[in-house]
Amino acid sequence: MAGINLSDRKETLFLEALGSPVIDMNNLRKLCSTGIVETCGIRTICWRLLLNCLPKQRTKWPEALEKQRCEYQQFLNEMIIEPGLKRCNAAPGLDDHPLNPNPTSEWNSYFKDNDILLQIDKDVRRLCPDIAFFQNATAYPCEPLVSPTSRLENLRKRVERSVLSSQNLTRKRLGISNLISSRKQASREYDTLEEGQEAHWEVVERILFIYAKLNPGTAYVQGMNEIIGPLYYTLASDPNLEWKEHAEADTFFCFTNLMGEIRDNFIKSLDKSGSGIEASMNRVLCLLRQVDPEVWLRLDSLAIKPQFYLFRWITLLLSQEFSLPDVIHIWDILFSDSRRFDFLIAVCSAMIILLRDEILTRDFSHNMKLLQNYPLRIDVNTIISKAKEIYHNLRN
Amino acid sequence: MGNKDDEYDYLFKVVLIGDSGVGKSNLLSRFTRNEFNLESKSTIGVEFATRSIQVDAKTIKAQIWDTAGQERYRAITSAYYRGAVGALLVYDIAKHLTYENVERWLKELRDHADNNIVIMLVGNKSDLRHLRAVPTDEAKAFSEKNGLSFIETSALDSTNVEVAFHNILTEIYRIVSQKQINDSQNEDDPTDGKAVEVIIPSTSNSTTNKQQGCCKNL
Repeated sequence: MAGINLSDRKETLFLEALGSPVIDMNNLRKLCSTGIVETCGIRTICWRLLLNCLPKQRTKWPEALEKQRCEYQQFLNEMIIEPGLKRCNAAPGLDDHPLNPNPTSEWNSYFKDNDILLQIDKDVRRLCPDIAFFQNATAYPCEPLVSPTSRLENLRKRVERSVLSSQNLTRKRLGISNLISSRKQASREYDTLEEGQEAHWEVVERILFIYAKLNPGTAYVQGMNEIIGPLYYTLASDPNLEWKEHAEADTFFCFTNLMGEIRDNFIKSLDKSGSGIEASMNRVLCLLRQVDPEVWLRLDSLAIKPQFYLFRWITLLLSQEFSLPDVIHIWDILFSDSRRFDFLIAVCSAMIILLRDEILTRDFSHNMKLLQNYPLRIDVNTIISKAKEIYHNLRN
Repeated sequence: MGNKDDEYDYLFKVVLIGDSGVGKSNLLSRFTRNEFNLESKSTIGVEFATRSIQVDAKTIKAQIWDTAGQERYRAITSAYYRGAVGALLVYDIAKHLTYENVERWLKELRDHADNNIVIMLVGNKSDLRHLRAVPTDEAKAFSEKNGLSFIETSALDSTNVEVAFHNILTEIYRIVSQKQINDSQNEDDPTDGKAVEVIIPSTSNSTTNKQQGCCKNL
């Protein structure tokens, strides 16, 4: 019973913190740093606040949200709906055609975008395969895109077509032109929900595609799907329908802001820069060396390089290392860090140190497998407490 | 220590390469754990697994390394190829583009891996007969021309997965044991006792052992 009272108490504290006219962010961070309560949709509001998608003044919320959601709708129109309409209506232009080599040619950028889209498609279809959520239909599909009467080319059709056209080409090379059967087979392989419905993974695909179009420097890199997955899942599972309805637009902004902070990890040319992935991996190893030199030395002498495990841990904010509920719990704490993402460095060190007995006695192969498949027996709360201990000792 | 980990005669490092989505991770999991995931996650960075097999009453432990197919993850490749004695270059028989890119992957191997690395071309997803886009004969001819061995597999229904790994490991074993015989004939000291070795010394890369600029504290 004491447990229930305690979580009731915690919920009250959260509701008080979120209820005040101007939100005290330090207080909120402190509350979130022990994990956010599961009730009342509190988490999705906290995440929006922590990721700077909501202003501190509550009175400004409606205006800010309205503005963001309109902005997203514009992106959607410009980047998906209008080009889709154009593709189904327009008579072939005289000055532009698919073989136009001019870099400003619309066809040229259309084909380039298709490459990005196909990569996104491949990855979002295999998002969180251990849960059914992403395969299920959303209650809020994008109407103009999925309406059975609409002839516009949505992303689903675009993927099907570009897969088909490449197949068509290879068939011709073989001198076989059995297009009808190949069309049938391709659409079976690329199975989707009934017309008028949209799976959650299709919503995620759309957000990633718009992000890639708006950020041509990074575009889409594999792994971004693993960052957006837990964000979208959390926002689209909101018990408050008025929030849940806008999960797509709001996820876009949470994702964009989060990527603003971790984007450098995805950019190869920045690997060796101060903000790149190598610097972050080195910070974990340095911390490890300080806290547990024996383990550091052991990993070093076995030549277990940080690229073999830390690379994924850091790039994906641990999202592939734990089950989704655990990832969400860890993210509560990572997001609440006022020096984002310093605490992640401590968490990674803690994860290694908690395996010290095995690392010190077992060989290269065993330890590689251990670090790449983090053992279930170690509870995330144990990891968090260990990380906090390290973090606080270090800063005192 | 006496762990089971240590009981082997030979330790061979084999890498899996090829475009994203051709089924590298599933070949790895099928061979090392006899598992297949229809919806497996995309690989970020590298993944690693081991399995031991018997050849001529010798235990060969294979360290198999799998990597992400996307360009961004090439950054970590130098460590990935170091010490590798075999490579399975995988394409998807139903996606012609993944076959066209085989040339690019061969170049990647030439640039980063040891010259003597044994390469096997693997046409995966042979269960997708009705969608075949790469004819077997074409891939076979290409392999012969480039001195690669060739096999078609299906990680989904297990066809030829065992055979593929067995063949490449046996081929490496033959080369290595032949080399050992030749080497010992040239030396006065016979190699003593239990021979546990990682073959093909790392192509001298002195930077690798150095810890990089460290210690920017929290």
